[in-house]
Amino acid sequence: MFYTFLKLQWKSFVRGESIGAEIMTKIFKWFWIVYFIFIIPALGFLTYEVLKESFEIEDPFLFINKQLIYAFVYLIVMRYFVQSIPVVSVKTLLLTPILKTQIVRNALGKSVFSFFNLIVFLYLIPLTFVLISKEYDASQLIGWNLGIISIVYITNYLNFILNNNNKILYSIGGILVSIKILEYYSIFDFTVYSQTFFYSFYTNPIYSVLPWIFLVWLYFYVFKYFKNGLYIDTGLKKKTDEAKMEDFSWLDRFGKTAVFLKNDLRLIKRSKRARSTVYAGVFCLFYGFLFYSQEDLFSSYDYLFASMAFFGYLFTSGGFLFMFGSFVPSWDSQYYSLMMCQNIEYKQYIKSKWTLVVIGTIISTFLACFIYSFLGTEAIFAVLAGGLYNIGVNGYLTLWAGAYTKTPVDLDSSKMAFGGTKAINMKTVLISLPQMVLPIALFAIGNYFYSFSIGCLIVGATGVLGILLKEPVFNLIIKAYKSEKYSTLKAYKQN
Amino acid sequence: MISLKNISKKYSKQTVLDITALDIPEGQTFGLVGNNGAGKTTLFSCLLDLIKPTTGRVINNGVDVMESEGWKSFTAAFLDDTFLIGYLMPEEYFYFIGELRGLKKKEVDEFVNQFEDFFHGEILGGKKYLRDLSKGNQKKAGVVAALLGEPKVVILDEPFANLDPSTQIRLKQILKDLSKNKKTTILVSSHDIQDVTEVCERIVLLEKGKIIKDINTSPETLKELEAYFKA
Repeated sequence: MFYTFLKLQWKSFVRGESIGAEIMTKIFKWFWIVYFIFIIPALGFLTYEVLKESFEIEDPFLFINKQLIYAFVYLIVMRYFVQSIPVVSVKTLLLTPILKTQIVRNALGKSVFSFFNLIVFLYLIPLTFVLISKEYDASQLIGWNLGIISIVYITNYLNFILNNNNKILYSIGGILVSIKILEYYSIFDFTVYSQTFFYSFYTNPIYSVLPWIFLVWLYFYVFKYFKNGLYIDTGLKKKTDEAKMEDFSWLDRFGKTAVFLKNDLRLIKRSKRARSTVYAGVFCLFYGFLFYSQEDLFSSYDYLFASMAFFGYLFTSGGFLFMFGSFVPSWDSQYYSLMMCQNIEYKQYIKSKWTLVVIGTIISTFLACFIYSFLGTEAIFAVLAGGLYNIGVNGYLTLWAGAYTKTPVDLDSSKMAFGGTKAINMKTVLISLPQMVLPIALFAIGNYFYSFSIGCLIVGATGVLGILLKEPVFNLIIKAYKSEKYSTLKAYKQN
Repeated sequence: MISLKNISKKYSKQTVLDITALDIPEGQTFGLVGNNGAGKTTLFSCLLDLIKPTTGRVINNGVDVMESEGWKSFTAAFLDDTFLIGYLMPEEYFYFIGELRGLKKKEVDEFVNQFEDFFHGEILGGKKYLRDLSKGNQKKAGVVAALLGEPKVVILDEPFANLDPSTQIRLKQILKDLSKNKKTTILVSSHDIQDVTEVCERIVLLEKGKIIKDINTSPETLKELEAYFKA
């Protein structure tokens, strides 16, 4: 049985359309897994020392207990977005002679070993060893660990109920924000109570039985909930939203490209996948804050650091471009043949995508200017230069790489939206290199020989040059798209 | 007029399509029949430049489809659900296609409303996206969208499959009405030989990519085809 399954997996892998890209993706995935396997235990080892030495916290263990509530809320949110519930694969099992209880037990059991649960162990074990070495009581710590682990699994099964229920998620988010605000203005500090709660697992290890009782109850609740839902018209039914017409006729001023712009806006609003990608792009707006702590960065003569900060600003305006743009034309993969048959030339189609990406970049640049304005004029220069470069050069490069991106996008799932599973192959990697390396090199040269502003100016001028070269560049891009058309169509059919 | 010259498609060693010559005059209602794997969809895909044939050329009203994109302005097709945009409502989908063919919103409304009967109240004014419609209803929307804007050539792959009996009858009537004006070239493929003989003036039978029969429809056609498929 297991062997058959393995064989099927292997076949689907080897016979896939783009095995090269798939291998790269797998390598990428394993890279992250290995990365976490090293970094998380390291964090566990270091937490105590760092809190004690760098932050001068008297009792780091107490502090950890105070922050735990945020960690758990974060865990719930991450699970909601990333951890998938194995519902779809259940459908095929319904008509096999496997008992329904067995199916549910399998689905619930599998989640015990999910990534989110395992990293908790990776963190807790080294942390506990450090704590024991700092003369915390070992047997009491075992009780504390048991309590924490049970709560981790409570969030695990909570996720099964939360899934597809936005209201509950938003209320949890709302509660968290209000707790934080109340704490910030020291009106009411909720964490004092949550701290006492978590710390009680340590002082009275016997208390950790309570969450375990709750966990067992929750497990059976979820079990029943799932078993009752094992019908294709209830629990296994695809959630459908009530449709609402959207006109967007104000976009008509963009001429023929407006037809596509309207659709792309609808795509972003109505597809879970596209939406989360755009959210990720918005997130990038705040990337520049990574360098905020070095406030006097630009006055310093540390060229390497200046270049890194410039990279940060380049990224702020390019969030939408990199996140959303790099999946062009995969966003249209589900109906690519339709697009290829309509009364529209390839050039117009690509142009409309370019317009969308440019509009996104202009908005991002504008917002970024606003956000970073308090860091001084140099920050604004850097953002503007980055924005111009993103429009004038990176926009084209992203579209060009898109011609070789042949992984279909499943618009209805939120999977992969946060992961780094962009369709990777050698060509796309080679094309995207100049997106980052070139502007930073240009900036570094200008900054080294002249000044920060000249560095920005060079990058910005390159962007303007790119904008002026629009027509010839487009002709090149379209050539690539045309020659790849048939294999792209074929690859998308694999959806 | 559509003409195919020496069209063939080979995947490694297997030949899935091999047609020396096929001419479809303007205004003809053309039916394509054959078992699974006969090459019907491959043929249509070549006509629409979705598949690059190994050899040969396709000329659609004077335009070589592999050389120019000019054929797109007068050709419309519905092959499968990759011709639907799942996140649109049917109305939005019609407006989208209509806009690409130079129709105003009002014109699209007028055109689509003719098909009230055909839609059977399940397409327009609903609160569903195309992705949430049943297969049959999706097909209805796709077929009507392919007729928008008076295209000179309409290509439909298996339009009768997945439809309920009343809708099948209505669709046949729609296609017959359309063929009356003698301006629209209609290409239809089907598994159901009765449907095709009812609608089409000419029927071509494919087997393993080759043309086996090329018949002008007459009362005996159905029997002739039945005899072939029984064997």
